Amino acid sequence: MRKWRLPAALRTLIAIKPKQKLTAQYLLSLLIAVTLAFLVGAGIMLLCGYDPLICYAALFKGALGKPRAIGNTLAKTATLCLTGLAMSVAAKSGIFNVGGEGQLYFGGIAAAVVGARMAGAPDWIIIGCALLAALLAGGAYAWVPGILKVKLKVDEVVTTILLNSAAIYFCAYLANGPLKTTERGISSGTDSVAASFSPLIKLSNLNGSVFVAIIATLLIWYLMTRSTTGFEMKITGTNRRFADYGGIRADRLMMVGMVLSGMLCGLVGMIEVFGIHKRFITNLSNEYYFDGMLVAMIMRYQPMGVILMSFFFAVLNIGGSAMELSAGISSEVILIVQSVIIFFMAAQGGIRQSLHAYTVKRRVRRAHAREVRT
Amino acid sequence: MSGIFNLLLLQNTLRTATPVVLCALGCLMTERAGFMNIGVEGMMLMGAFFAVLGSYLYGSWVMGLVFAIVLGVLLGLFYYVFSITFKSDEFVIGVALNILAGGLTVFLLRTLFGVKGSFSDPGIVPLPTLHFTWLEQIPVLGTLVSGNTLLVYISWLLVFLCWLLLYKTPLGFHLRASGEAPEALRASGVNPDRMKMLASVLCGILASLSGAHLSLGYLTMFSENMSASRGFVAVACVIFGGGNPPRVFLAALLFGFIDALGIRLQRYIPSDITSMAPYVVTVVMMVVVVLMKRRKKKIRQGEER
Repeated sequence: MRKWRLPAALRTLIAIKPKQKLTAQYLLSLLIAVTLAFLVGAGIMLLCGYDPLICYAALFKGALGKPRAIGNTLAKTATLCLTGLAMSVAAKSGIFNVGGEGQLYFGGIAAAVVGARMAGAPDWIIIGCALLAALLAGGAYAWVPGILKVKLKVDEVVTTILLNSAAIYFCAYLANGPLKTTERGISSGTDSVAASFSPLIKLSNLNGSVFVAIIATLLIWYLMTRSTTGFEMKITGTNRRFADYGGIRADRLMMVGMVLSGMLCGLVGMIEVFGIHKRFITNLSNEYYFDGMLVAMIMRYQPMGVILMSFFFAVLNIGGSAMELSAGISSEVILIVQSVIIFFMAAQGGIRQSLHAYTVKRRVRRAHAREVRT
Repeated sequence: MSGIFNLLLLQNTLRTATPVVLCALGCLMTERAGFMNIGVEGMMLMGAFFAVLGSYLYGSWVMGLVFAIVLGVLLGLFYYVFSITFKSDEFVIGVALNILAGGLTVFLLRTLFGVKGSFSDPGIVPLPTLHFTWLEQIPVLGTLVSGNTLLVYISWLLVFLCWLLLYKTPLGFHLRASGEAPEALRASGVNPDRMKMLASVLCGILASLSGAHLSLGYLTMFSENMSASRGFVAVACVIFGGGNPPRVFLAALLFGFIDALGIRLQRYIPSDITSMAPYVVTVVMMVVVVLMKRRKKKIRQGEER
């Protein structure tokens, strides 16, 4: 009898599973943290006079109950995944990119302009060119804080945060001023783009862009876990001095990570423009990058973990709004739950250490007491 | 142009700079104790909310300030426990704190007051405005100094007090040592973690007071995300003020000046561009400061040779 075997694709996926530091212990802590966070959320709901069970049921039903909801959740997963990987690829290279929001806006507006100006060309050419424009714009805007960090040692966390606000206002200026559409009934925004991704599930946000997102995700995953650059990132992350000794140019690595991160964010902007709004609008993103950043931080910048966690956070996110509609509780409670998860995950090592130290102390004290008695 | 550059501009500068000044002083404390606090943005936002809450519930601005200060102490302790006791990444904790602040304030705004976006009510008692009649008789100084809200004066006083604390007292010496040489401090019999806790609590108080100024002094309302990255600007001010209170004060004033100037220039330039200016200028300033430091270093090295 022929032995049953997994399909080839699945087998490769399992064979190349990341052998990095997402240890069982860490995952256990994650489980505990998520449970605790849900309990905190339930406590808040109880305090406000809501039934937590009904609220959470509404949440999961709202995220996964209907095909349309699933479509929205998957679309959100793609966004979170791309932004989360953007954060990860930079963080793993030793530079923090907190400016993804700005890069997203720049990518979005560049794509919108290209998409509108190229009207008449075949769809796939328009989309391809817009994609390139978005990657370039996002990458370029990330290059600035990157080069400042590498050449001048200007703290990149602060510059990227500040450049966010600058980019959002600048794009708003463009969309309200020089690039404002002449179409009637549109108060602010650029001309509508000539091509767009077609929706995959009716009335949901899931559209063809999800394939672009999947390709980008796989590329980044490959780069981070299977390529020389990824290896360099890993070494630099574990032992900076060894990396220097081994001839890894940390500066170059940082720049690569930063620009890649910016490009991913630009891509998210392009997807928003071509997938949902069909034009650049001034409130293109609702802090999407920060959501992605959270996912990346929780999963310690491990690509596979980020991909899986994105789905969970997307469920929370989409379900949160549905919960607000059906159960009546403000969806911000989900933000609180998410931040509690992060607090516990960021501190899990320390909390475990403190607990350990405490039990050891107690054991010693008990042993001491026993000795005194005898 | 005389409509733009006049005394009122300087007065507005002082007003818009105050939240940044207070917040930057807080940041400065943790910075000197050796850890960065990105979470001041969130602390400021929560401070703004709780100040409004206190003022509204008790009908007095004093309670607003008390709420803000108590919250500041709690936030400072929270930040200390997570970033120092549990040794987590302070950057992650800071970002998570900002997200918590965004979520919590909006959530409370909706559940307690039942409004979306912003909450303003005649029941919110703003901070008192102080008028000094004897000062108002002096032409320029009078208009500048008199007629500001309470926290503006407190912030000036605090700049001086912080400088005094950091450079002229043993406590400040220990605080700075806990950042620069914690092992040496431990060897001399002082627990550096204690100093870090002090710095964190001071930072929490100052940051949430800056929020209180925003919601009770500068405006008399709370609106979603009203801190608008001022906390981050404060972090930048600390960096290019070199961790020295008076210099940080000047840096914050510069930010306030650009902000105030921008509001006035809105008649001539699109408002989006003027709103963008403070952030761009802050980044440029950070670069300039680094370049200047480099040049100084080079000159010094040249002298040594």
